[in-house]
Amino acid sequence: MSGSNEKLLIDVGSTYFKVSTAESIEQHFRDFNKDVLDDLMNKCGQTIQRFGKEDVHICSSANGGLSALIIGITQSFSLKYATNIAFNSGINIIDTILYQNIEEYSVPSDLIDVVIIVGGIDTRVNIFSDSLFNYLGRLNCSNIVYVGSEQDKSAIKDKIEGVVLLPNIIDNRLHIVEEHLKEYLTNLYQQDIEGKEDIKHLYDITANQIFSTPYIVNKALPFITSKLSVVNPFILLDIGGATTDIHYSKDLVVDDNIVTENEYDRLVFKKLGVYKSKQSLIFAAKNNEFVYELLTHLKVTENIFEEQGEKATRILMQLAIFLVLCKISHYRQAYINLKLLAVNSIVITGGITKVLTIGEIEDIIAFFYKKILSSEHNPAAIMDSNYDIWTLGAIGETVCQ
Amino acid sequence: MKVVTGVVGNDIHVVANRLMELSLHARGYEVFNLGVNTHLEEFFDAVVETGAEILLISSLNGEAEGWSREVRMLKAKYKDLDNLVMMIGGNLTVGAGKADEIEKKYKKYGFDLVCHQVDLNTGLDSLEAFLAQRN
Repeated sequence: MSGSNEKLLIDVGSTYFKVSTAESIEQHFRDFNKDVLDDLMNKCGQTIQRFGKEDVHICSSANGGLSALIIGITQSFSLKYATNIAFNSGINIIDTILYQNIEEYSVPSDLIDVVIIVGGIDTRVNIFSDSLFNYLGRLNCSNIVYVGSEQDKSAIKDKIEGVVLLPNIIDNRLHIVEEHLKEYLTNLYQQDIEGKEDIKHLYDITANQIFSTPYIVNKALPFITSKLSVVNPFILLDIGGATTDIHYSKDLVVDDNIVTENEYDRLVFKKLGVYKSKQSLIFAAKNNEFVYELLTHLKVTENIFEEQGEKATRILMQLAIFLVLCKISHYRQAYINLKLLAVNSIVITGGITKVLTIGEIEDIIAFFYKKILSSEHNPAAIMDSNYDIWTLGAIGETVCQ
Repeated sequence: MKVVTGVVGNDIHVVANRLMELSLHARGYEVFNLGVNTHLEEFFDAVVETGAEILLISSLNGEAEGWSREVRMLKAKYKDLDNLVMMIGGNLTVGAGKADEIEKKYKKYGFDLVCHQVDLNTGLDSLEAFLAQRN
């Protein structure tokens, strides 16, 4: 067994897993024909066996995350606030319904992990009617949580079987109240991990709670300068195999009406990744009129989309950086637009840092600023090649426990 | 009675906005102040979330003229705002303009009450008179 203070940190992603000790970090491509634990023990068994269960800390994004459907009464408050809380709680797939038009929305055929119903300050009454209850009746979902007006709670409880009632996320000054919904969703994520066959076996090697990777990364951000030369405000791009996570300084949000104590928020693009989500990344690329110019700039043609191998992967990763920046700029109206001309540092983490060079990343960032923002602005690209951010967050979590 | 108020567009006249809030409070209204730099959609959304009966938009640098053109179209997208009292006040034009023509123009945009360069208390008196007449 290892020395009493040494910890083993493991991150299980959709494509890679990483194993970190005080001496080294190992990264391995996952074998999808094997159970996660078998694969992990096969590749890093010797290292893992050196540690007791209480010294092993695991985070994972490999269960795919939870899907959420949010039903709210306005875009600027109820839907926006609930979406913000859901992203910051590690929810990956979010669809929203504006309640006044609920009859125009189709009912998703897939099972929804959690439906969030929100709307109105506490003095409002009778906000929701039969149109909501009829819609929910046709929906296939595992959990329903109500976080709207206090006065409507009893009516909601009578009409919706099994609904969880939590305090309103909108206070009487129209400000956001995050803690209760955030705690509920984080616990739901935990239960989901425990229920997933593949992931739950990981509890055979750890006695500690398995957290979601974005949660761990978000916890590390206030301390990032202790490991990397990052200047605020910054954005952090974690381009993975299945999804891409963006963590950003809240100072960068354009016209934000959300006032919280969090310094950093998270946003996820669910089908933007270089392995599992490769096809949807290519689809997104083909629909961006600047991508062909970018391919020319990179001295390749669109035939690269059909190719396999290291060169194709490099190009896809470069495209992923460009597309993500587009998605958070004014060029694509999204859930959030960031003041990209105010960004001082762009931090890149995840498997992408093992493939691309700093020069290749800087080249894409410069191309984006020139073509999309018509600017010579040049934020510093910083590579988290040694997974310092994840290690920082994971260690922080072990200290808290 | 609930009132949603704030300063529209890229306008940062925060002192006038605060005076507006204090005056409304003093007259017994429940005030939801969205502050300065507020977009039109946020005003309407705040009305929906709070159940306010009155929307009072202010503008000090004349920006309202550009933004207000979209008021009628935007309001039409909301299903339950037919009874909302819409009021606008402040300096409602860039440069000089005749008050009666400005008033006519803003009423066409969808406002019930228009107070161009009118003293705050006089404007709020006219709101009360309007509400009394309507009830």
